[in-house]
Amino acid sequence: MANTEAALKEATTSIEGVLGAALVDYTSGMALGTIGGGKDLDLAVAAAGNTDVVRAKVRTMEQLGLQDGIEDILITLGTQYHLIRLLRGRGTDGLFLYLALDKSRANLAMARHQLKKIESQLEI
Amino acid sequence: MRNPVSVVSPMLIRLTDERATGVLIRDHGALYLIDGQVVHAEAAAAPGLDVLLTSGGRLRPEHWEEAIAEAGTRCQVARQLVINGHLTVGELELCHLATLFDAAFFTLATRSGATRFRYGVTHWLGPIRPVPPGTVERESMRRVRLLNSVWPYAEVDTAPVRRRTRLAGRVISPHRRALLDLADGIRTPSTIARELGRPAFNTLVEVRRLAADGFIDASAGVPPPPGQQPSAAGAQPSKEPSDPAVKESPPAPDSALLRRIREALEAPR
Repeated sequence: MANTEAALKEATTSIEGVLGAALVDYTSGMALGTIGGGKDLDLAVAAAGNTDVVRAKVRTMEQLGLQDGIEDILITLGTQYHLIRLLRGRGTDGLFLYLALDKSRANLAMARHQLKKIESQLEI
Repeated sequence: MRNPVSVVSPMLIRLTDERATGVLIRDHGALYLIDGQVVHAEAAAAPGLDVLLTSGGRLRPEHWEEAIAEAGTRCQVARQLVINGHLTVGELELCHLATLFDAAFFTLATRSGATRFRYGVTHWLGPIRPVPPGTVERESMRRVRLLNSVWPYAEVDTAPVRRRTRLAGRVISPHRRALLDLADGIRTPSTIARELGRPAFNTLVEVRRLAADGFIDASAGVPPPPGQQPSAAGAQPSKEPSDPAVKESPPAPDSALLRRIREALEAPR
């Protein structure tokens, strides 16, 4: 891959309707890279908050005794989709990609497909 | 209580404004600046970039040494790692940002004596992805709040971590299991971070979460009375037990402290 910024940039250009994207460290809740966002969508706040979403789901799975991993988490709002994709790779000790999409412009199936592709390029 | 981060704030603002190059030194770590931007940070408690890269098997130690030998004097070691084809730019950036914010947290958020700035000093690693000091400062403050919201007793941050013996039947993720396996009552969070090749702050968060979940013995800290689990974000810990019955009882001997002293004396040198 080129660099973090390029990978995130590709996410926003190759996926229709992206409002913002962030690459987040899931233990600390810190955004290691962000693109897009703005006053309507503070990606640093979104990164920290969505860490709790991922943690809650991981915890529930532990309690249920599910021996499985999360691929992605989809949250559907009235006007937006929020997509969280957990990255797994050699050194990825808990990173996830967070994507906010405009519901009226986004194609969810395509977005998930593209996100998978970007993940493979990140190969962190 | 004054936030320790805010103490250095005016100095960082001034250094940003004058686009300073050099190193900001505090008791627990240092921030390296180029043109007023933070390019690197180091702290005794936080594992360095080499530890994070090599312990996970991502980079062989000899390749790290090789890059230092080739580009150390030119202060371009980071770039050399990429030129030599051992790392991609993305990997380097992500891993380095993790170490930068990790060390910056210990540098800025720990109570400290004097803060000095030495102009003109640069780090041999070389710039990778500069970060505005304001971002570093905000992130450090957020980390302080995060730790306090998880478990507001900072004693567990520096004390040896000891797992509770009766954990049978409790589901533990592999990530936490790796940490608990090293929680032998001798290793501190900082030692564990180094051995696992994880950022020290991430280890602190995990240790505090384990304390809150009852997986580790947190008697070194001040556990809240039953029914008074810490929940409010950023709540200041009260050292006084609020239950009158507890208040009236004679102070219990600090067995955790005694045990730690004994272990420290008996630890192999």
